[in-house]
Amino acid sequence: MAMKKVLIVDDDTTFQKTLTEALKPLHCAVISALDGAEGLTLALSEKPDLILLDIKMPRLGGIDFLKQLQKAHGGLQPTPVLITSNLSSAEDISEGVSLGIRGYIVKSDESLDTIVRHAEGLLNPKKTA
Amino acid sequence: MTLTVISVLLALGGLATSIYFVVKDRQAKAVLAKREQDVSRRMYELAILKELGDRIGYSLDVQQIIDIIINSLHQFIDYSAVSYMLLGPEKLIFKMHLERSVHQRFVNDIKDRMLGSLSALLDREFNKKDVKEIISGAIIIEELDEPVRSFFNIPLVIDEKVVGVLTVADTKTGLYKEEEMTILYKIIQQASKAVTSLQGVVKSEQAKVNAMVESMADGVVMTDIDYRIMVVNPSARAIIGLPQKESLTIFDFIDNLEGKFDIRGKLEESVKLNKPFKSEEVLIRDKFYRIFVFPVNATIGGEIDEKNAVGGVVIFHDVTAERAVEQIREQFTSMIVHELRTPLSGINKISELLRAGDPALTKQEVDEYIRMISVNSTSMLDLVNDILDVAKLEAGKFDVKKEPTDIRKVIDNRVEFFKVSANDAKLSLESHYDPELPEQIPLDPSAVKQVLNNLISNALKFTKASGSVALYAVHHKVGGKVSDEFARLGRNVSVALPEDKFVNTPESVIVAVSDTGSGINPAGQKELFNKFKQLDNRAETGIKGTGLGLAIAKGIAEEHGGSIGVVSEIGVGSVFYFVLPLQ
Repeated sequence: MAMKKVLIVDDDTTFQKTLTEALKPLHCAVISALDGAEGLTLALSEKPDLILLDIKMPRLGGIDFLKQLQKAHGGLQPTPVLITSNLSSAEDISEGVSLGIRGYIVKSDESLDTIVRHAEGLLNPKKTA
Repeated sequence: MTLTVISVLLALGGLATSIYFVVKDRQAKAVLAKREQDVSRRMYELAILKELGDRIGYSLDVQQIIDIIINSLHQFIDYSAVSYMLLGPEKLIFKMHLERSVHQRFVNDIKDRMLGSLSALLDREFNKKDVKEIISGAIIIEELDEPVRSFFNIPLVIDEKVVGVLTVADTKTGLYKEEEMTILYKIIQQASKAVTSLQGVVKSEQAKVNAMVESMADGVVMTDIDYRIMVVNPSARAIIGLPQKESLTIFDFIDNLEGKFDIRGKLEESVKLNKPFKSEEVLIRDKFYRIFVFPVNATIGGEIDEKNAVGGVVIFHDVTAERAVEQIREQFTSMIVHELRTPLSGINKISELLRAGDPALTKQEVDEYIRMISVNSTSMLDLVNDILDVAKLEAGKFDVKKEPTDIRKVIDNRVEFFKVSANDAKLSLESHYDPELPEQIPLDPSAVKQVLNNLISNALKFTKASGSVALYAVHHKVGGKVSDEFARLGRNVSVALPEDKFVNTPESVIVAVSDTGSGINPAGQKELFNKFKQLDNRAETGIKGTGLGLAIAKGIAEEHGGSIGVVSEIGVGSVFYFVLPLQ
């Protein structure tokens, strides 16, 4: 079985680095982008199994990233997306849900462990179901 | 007071012939009587004026005024009936108050006499059909067939126009002696004068109020109890998009408010409950308004009669600007929260990883985590310091301690400090000094260092590789041209400083930080020094920052008695400059 691929799109390098480290036990390949535009390119070329997405980023924010990703797939959202953001505005959450996100985590409120468990659940849906 | 007046009038009672209409201005015979008349008249005048002031306030209703006069008249004069006939808008108003019961013929006789005198006064024929009759007081009794035996008629003149007649009449003979009636005549005359001048005051006050309402930025609409629009100012017309329409009705408001505000319902509620109402923010034609509704009560003697609502006022207060400020504040707060949370959560996550104690972590990885903790905590510390500085500046507690300082040393020190980052970014970083620069100038070295840190780090951030950042210090003299002054340095800033800005600048040192960066558009330049505003291109360039630095720099320059500014041209570069006065 091919190794699962996780894409982290976040401009916070500390979060990138620590999350990548924390994801190691899942034995998946982790690729990362520092903004939405770079993330979109990687999402389309690398076809990840899961996208961990920040909201507030330079160049292209998380919500716009989702809109463009959906557009590129003809209105579908084939890749599970988990939003990991420090923002928790109701607008962002509801907009995210309408754009097909599978979860929303306020990253400063949760431990890396919790984030990893959520990511694992989305990567291996059968196991947790 | 009333006792004096009554006793005087009683003394004047006695036999009198009935006098028809015109009162000749004859001199009183008895000196004593004259004096007492004067006293009583003055007292009555005062009483009337007080009544007018107390009870009708600013009312312009002549009928109401006359009512007040006749209501107090029976205290002073004996009569079967007091009546007045007034020119109404359509009909003549004939009002009679009976102190004692009389025959119908008595009433008719007085009415005819009054019609006759009014016709004579105004030189106009009046028809009996044109009279609206109101009889109050005692009842009419057919058995009491007593004719009019005493009668006295006084014209009512307001603002030099005859507006009606006032009559006292009695079934007894010999009442209303001429002297007594002279006083009454003068009293009425005096009251008329008072009313006339009151009308003048009211008119001018109304004109003032009208002018004020007209020019108000808030929309003002006043309606009577039946929602007829009594007052509407141009702002209110503009708000509902009908600036030109001749006469507006409540339906114009209902239609054009498009259900966003129930103007009629709120007016009704406010008047009924006698309570003011304040709306939430309402969006009407691309602007936000807070709408206030007040009940309007009749005023009696300067006091509001709460039981007597006469209508309502609706005020549309534009809160678009306040709302924008509020929004910026909210954005600012959420930005601060975000900028503090990100590094804090980063440190938290690193500690989580280190705590887990993964034995596979190499020394190199641990070092990297420690470096990241340092970066994150430094960024938090910087932000907290900035917030504290802004708070200090706002509270006026940011004290600069000026001491004679060589500005060149301060600048050189900063250039040295930033040399490494400039080299890393492949940018040149230089400083140039005016040969006429004073040896020492009064400044707070650490505060100026803070300003320079901010300006230099910004310049380095926003300039692309192979560009240049240069610092200048120039001695500006009163009336000197800045372009000439900068020319002494043999090189120039990327964008020329605005000459006109320095016309009134006292002798000072101008420090400029010039870059060859992307430039800032004029709209962005305006917002730069506002603490709540951060340039949007931050998102485009991916450069972080809270935007507080320039607000602090501005505060520091101003604490030195100077100023800060920017000139910029898209694609050419930006020059940030601050002015430190020598005095």
